[in-house]
Amino acid sequence: MSRVTFYLRERIEEIKSRYELERQESKKLPKEEKMILTWIIILIFWFIVSGEFYWQNMLVGGIVALIISSFMYENLTDDLRCRGSLVRKILFLSFIQIPQYIFIMIFQVVESNFRVAKHAIFLDIDPGIIRIETDLRSETGTTLLSNSITLTPGTLTIDVSKKLDKTYLYVHWIDVKTLNMKKAGDEIKGDVERWLKKIFW
Amino acid sequence: MIIEYTLLAIGLSIMIFGMLGVLRFPDVFSRLHASTKCDTGGAMSILIATALLIDTPFMIKVKILILTFFIVMLNPMISHAIARGAHKAGVKPEVEVDMYARDNP
Repeated sequence: MSRVTFYLRERIEEIKSRYELERQESKKLPKEEKMILTWIIILIFWFIVSGEFYWQNMLVGGIVALIISSFMYENLTDDLRCRGSLVRKILFLSFIQIPQYIFIMIFQVVESNFRVAKHAIFLDIDPGIIRIETDLRSETGTTLLSNSITLTPGTLTIDVSKKLDKTYLYVHWIDVKTLNMKKAGDEIKGDVERWLKKIFW
Repeated sequence: MIIEYTLLAIGLSIMIFGMLGVLRFPDVFSRLHASTKCDTGGAMSILIATALLIDTPFMIKVKILILTFFIVMLNPMISHAIARGAHKAGVKPEVEVDMYARDNP
């Protein structure tokens, strides 16, 4: 392996990453599980918005949610990682992973508010637009990651670009510390990317 | 009672500091920082205080919490759209490094 030239090694890594992508494409959730997940999400939303618990209401809501989820099942749950059975996934999502995410984000939002107040008083800013790299490839994962980056202290996502099945984010950083892509990525993304990689691919 | 009024006071002070940031920061992108974050945090704490404070059935309080969820999800997207549109329309950011202009000439 040590005799392989630099160019060939690059090519091999590119082929490996493409192989990984195709393997993940083939490991998506089956159609019935997608439909059931979409049905549950739409039903919970219907109960909260209607706010009444008669049996007629529940029956009509269930039937209409079933009709909607029979042709909209790809929009919400297309990018979920396939791991474990359906019941385990629902329990994990609703009791462990979503509370974890809310817990992370509440502290980030509070800290970012105090940071903005400090910057507004002392005006000690040093802004710059830099590029970082993520391991997430799906659309939903990238959207959630860039939203979380905007809410974390000191950063604002401007644009996303996909080149050669890698995703790059352009981030406006109000207090630039490094220009190195890896170090800046570690500092900006933090725990959120590790959390998102468990759920989205 | 104390928790609700503390949350209201925190939300109001966050909003005031965000307004100060919008007035004092130099360019569009830095001002978007102040408006996005302080809007999100201030609206969150004010809406949670409202949901705890008002005297209504339980489902309406849950609806107010759903409103906070929508604000938290939509506010960053709107700021992202404004920042990207401003950069594409030719607003020059006052920055030291601008990799976005370098990569998309």
